[in-house]
Amino acid sequence: MPSPTCYLLLNPSRAHRRLLPSPRPPAAARCGRLRVSCDVPRQGGDGGGAKRGVIPSGDGKGKKRVVFFDAAPPLAQQSGGEEGKVKKAEPKQDGAALRLLRRATKRTLSVLSNLPLAITEMFAIAGLMALGTVIDQGEAPSYYLEKFPEDNPVLGFITWRWILTPGFDHMFSSPVFLGLLALLAASLMACTYTTQLPMVKVAKRWSFMSSGGSIRKQDFSDSLPRASIQDLGVILMGAGYEVFTKGPSLYAFKGLAGRYAPIGVHLAMILVMAGATLTATGSFKGSVDVPQGLNFVIGDIMKPKGFLSVAPDVFNTEVHVNRFYMEYYDSGEVSQFYSDLSLFDLDGKEVMRRTIKVNDPLRYGGITIYQTDWGFSALQVKKNGEGPFNLAMAPLKLNGDKKLYGTFLPLEDSDSSSSVKGISMLARDLQSIVLYDQDGKFVGVRRPSSKLPIEINGNEILIEDAIGSTGLDLKTDPGIPVVYAGFGALMLTTCISYLSHAQLWALQDGTTVVIGGKSNRAKIEFSDEMNRLLNKVPELISVNEKTVDNKSSAT
Amino acid sequence: MLFATLEHILTHISFSTISIVITIHLRALLVRELGGLRDSSEKGMIATFFSITGFLVSRWLSSGHFPLSNLYESLIFLSWALYILHTIPKVQNSKNDLSTITTPSTILTQGFATSGLLTEMHQSTILVPALQSQWLMMHVSMMLLSYATLLCGSLLSAAILIIRFRNNFNFFSKKNKNVLKKTFLFSKMEYFYAKRSYFKSASVPSFPNYYKYQLTERLDSWSYRVISLGFTLLTIGILCGAVWANEAWGSYWNWDPKETWAFITWTIFAIYLHSRTNQNWKGTNSALVASIGFLIIWICYFGINLLGIGLHSYGSFTLTPN
Repeated sequence: MPSPTCYLLLNPSRAHRRLLPSPRPPAAARCGRLRVSCDVPRQGGDGGGAKRGVIPSGDGKGKKRVVFFDAAPPLAQQSGGEEGKVKKAEPKQDGAALRLLRRATKRTLSVLSNLPLAITEMFAIAGLMALGTVIDQGEAPSYYLEKFPEDNPVLGFITWRWILTPGFDHMFSSPVFLGLLALLAASLMACTYTTQLPMVKVAKRWSFMSSGGSIRKQDFSDSLPRASIQDLGVILMGAGYEVFTKGPSLYAFKGLAGRYAPIGVHLAMILVMAGATLTATGSFKGSVDVPQGLNFVIGDIMKPKGFLSVAPDVFNTEVHVNRFYMEYYDSGEVSQFYSDLSLFDLDGKEVMRRTIKVNDPLRYGGITIYQTDWGFSALQVKKNGEGPFNLAMAPLKLNGDKKLYGTFLPLEDSDSSSSVKGISMLARDLQSIVLYDQDGKFVGVRRPSSKLPIEINGNEILIEDAIGSTGLDLKTDPGIPVVYAGFGALMLTTCISYLSHAQLWALQDGTTVVIGGKSNRAKIEFSDEMNRLLNKVPELISVNEKTVDNKSSAT
Repeated sequence: MLFATLEHILTHISFSTISIVITIHLRALLVRELGGLRDSSEKGMIATFFSITGFLVSRWLSSGHFPLSNLYESLIFLSWALYILHTIPKVQNSKNDLSTITTPSTILTQGFATSGLLTEMHQSTILVPALQSQWLMMHVSMMLLSYATLLCGSLLSAAILIIRFRNNFNFFSKKNKNVLKKTFLFSKMEYFYAKRSYFKSASVPSFPNYYKYQLTERLDSWSYRVISLGFTLLTIGILCGAVWANEAWGSYWNWDPKETWAFITWTIFAIYLHSRTNQNWKGTNSALVASIGFLIIWICYFGINLLGIGLHSYGSFTLTPN
C-alpha cells in the first residue's frame, strides 16, 4: 500500500507512455483480463506469447512504484477534506423586517424552483399554444360571437365568453399566456440559482470514497481481484478520464462539461426571453406598398410596438424605389421578386443603393427592409400612337388566393349615353396582359416587353410597360443581438448537454480493487465502456498461482 | 424523364427490399432466428439505404435544389434519417433495441410516401421565393432528423408503457401489427433477461454488470439517450428556422401554427427531460410524456401541412403573409 500522504496525479499523456510499455489489445484469453506475471513471461500461453509489460505485484510495501504528479492539483486541499462542508454564514441580526424579507425571498425561491411547478407551467404553456392554433387568431369580436354562440356552445360549454374574456382571440399576446411565460422565466432563474449553481460546487469537488461499501452502492460496480489501482488509473486515462488518486483510493471523471451545460441552457433560455421582451417592447414595424418610381420616408410608416420604442435618427431617411421586377421560371411561375432601392438622407444625398429580394433584406442603421409582397400599380398603354396613358390597375377579389388585377380603357363612343364601353385588361402578374374587347370577348394576350400592337374594335393598342408596386416590410428590432446571442448559446449548450458526466471511484482493498461508478446520462454505454476497460486491467499473479494456472491449462 | 424513371425504380427497389427485410425480422421473431437471414436483413437495410440515397441525389440533380420542398420528399428524407439512426449504434458496435423500432418505422414512412399520397405530390416542385435560401437545407434537414430521432425515442418509451401494462394492452396488439411485433419481442426478451438476472442474484456475484439492467431500464435508458439527441437536433432546427424567418418573413418568431407546434413539441420533450431528473417520475411518467410527444410530433409534422394553414404550407404559399 502506498502511504496515504502520497498524492498521485497522473499526467494523462506522459504517464500513459511511461507505465504502459506495450499498449496491446487484451489477449483473447479465457478470462477477459490481461494477465501479467511478475517474473517470467509465460511461454506460448493464451494469445501472442510475446513479452508483456511487467508490473510488480503489490506484495511488499517498499516495492511499489510511485508516479509523481507534474503539477500540484489545484483542488487537492479542498478534496482532502471530503466531509468539510461549506460553512453557512451566520445570519446577521439586522432586524426583524429584513429577516422576514429574506425568509420570504427564500420561500419564494424554493416555491419557484419546485420541479412539479415548472413542469405544470410548461404543460400549461404547451396547452395554451395548442389552443392558440386551434382558435382562429386576431379576428373581430363578431367572428367569435358567430362561431361560438351562446345558445349552441361548442362541446357543450365553450361560448364566446370563454374566448374573449381571457383574451384567447389573441393568445400569444394575452395576459394569461404572457404571465405564464414570465412565471416560467422566474422558475428558470430560481432553479438555476437554488439547484443548479450549488451543483457546480459539488461536481467540482474531487470526492474520494474510502469505504468499499459506498463504492459498491453505485449504479455500476465491480471488483477486480489481483489488480492494482495504478493500472486502472492508467487505463482510465487512456480512455480520456481525468484521474486522481490519494492513497488507496482513486477518483476519475469524464465529461464534466455535460454536467455544467444544463445551467448554460437555462441561462441561454433566459437570454432569449429577455431579448424577446426587448423585441416586444422596443421595436418599430411598418409595411408599405410603393409603386415603382415613387418614394416614402421611413418614419412615416413606422409604428412603435411598445413603450420602449425610441425612434432613431435614420427614420428621416427617404427610400426611393428605382425599380421593381420579377423573375420567372420557364413554366411561368414567379421565381423571385426584386426591388432596387435607393436611400437618401435629409440633404438628398444617396447613402445606399441595393437590390433586395425575398430572403435578402436590406439593413441600414438598425432598420431592416424586407421584400414581402407585390402589386400591380399601373399599365402604360398607347392608343393609336397617342399617349402613353397610365391606367391604374385595381386588384380584383375573386375566389382563390391568386392575385388578379384589372383595368379599363374607355373608348370614345359618340352615342354612348347609358353605358361606357371600352377595352378590359386583366393580368395575374407583370408578365402578360389579357385583353378583352368592348363586348367582353377575348382578343389576345400581350407581353409588355414585346412591343407588339393589338387591334381591338378598330383601335391599335400597344402595351408599353407594366408598372409594379413593391410591398415592403420595415422594422427595427433592438432585441435581435440579445436573441441571437441566446440562440447561439442555446445551440452550443444543448449540444454539450448531450455529453454525459461519468464518475468513477475505486479502492485498493488488499489485492482486490473495488470499482464503482455512475454516469448521469449514457448509463448503458458507460457500463459497456467500463466492462471493456476493466478487461484491459492486467491481472497480477504470483509464481505459485501461475504454476497452478499452467497446470489447469495443461489439463 | 431519365431522372423520373430512375427515381421510380429506386423507390420501388427500396420499398420492396425493406418489405423483405421486415418479413425476415418478423420471421426471426415469431418462428426462430436464422443466422444467414439475419445477415441478409442487414444487407437489405444497406440496399435500401443506397436506393433512398440514390433517390434523393437524383432528385437534387434533377430539380437543382435540396430535395426537401414538399411533403413527399420530406417523408423520403424522414425514412432516410430513420435509416441513419439505425446505423449509428451499428457503427459504435453496441447492441440495442433501436433497430426493432427503426426498421418498421422506415417501412411505414416509405410505404406511406410511395402509396399513401396523391401521385401529383411525387413531382418535384419549383421553389417558391421564400424557400430560396441556404437555410432550407439546414433548417429542414435538422427538423426532419430530429423528428426521426424523437419518433424513435418516443416509440421506445411507448414500448416501456406497453411492457408495464401489457395485460391491459392485449386488445391493442390485435389491431396493430407493429405493436404486436413489439409486444411479442419484448415479452420474449423480458423473459430472457429476467432469467439472467435471476441467475445473477442467486449465485454469481461477479456476473457482468451488463445484465444488471432490466429490460425496461435498458429501454428507458435508450429512449432517454435517443430523445436527448433528438431534442438537441430539434433545438438547432428550430433556432435555424428562427434565424431564417428573421431573414425571410421579417421576424424571428411569428407564432405561425407550424412554429407553434414545433415549440409545443420542444416543450413536451423538455418536460420529458426534466421529469427524468426526479427519481419518482422516472419510468412510467416520463414514458407517458414521451408517448404524448409521439402524437405531438405527428401533429406538428403532418397535421399542420395537411390543414394547409400558416406560413409553412408550401404548396399554397404565394408570398402573401397575413
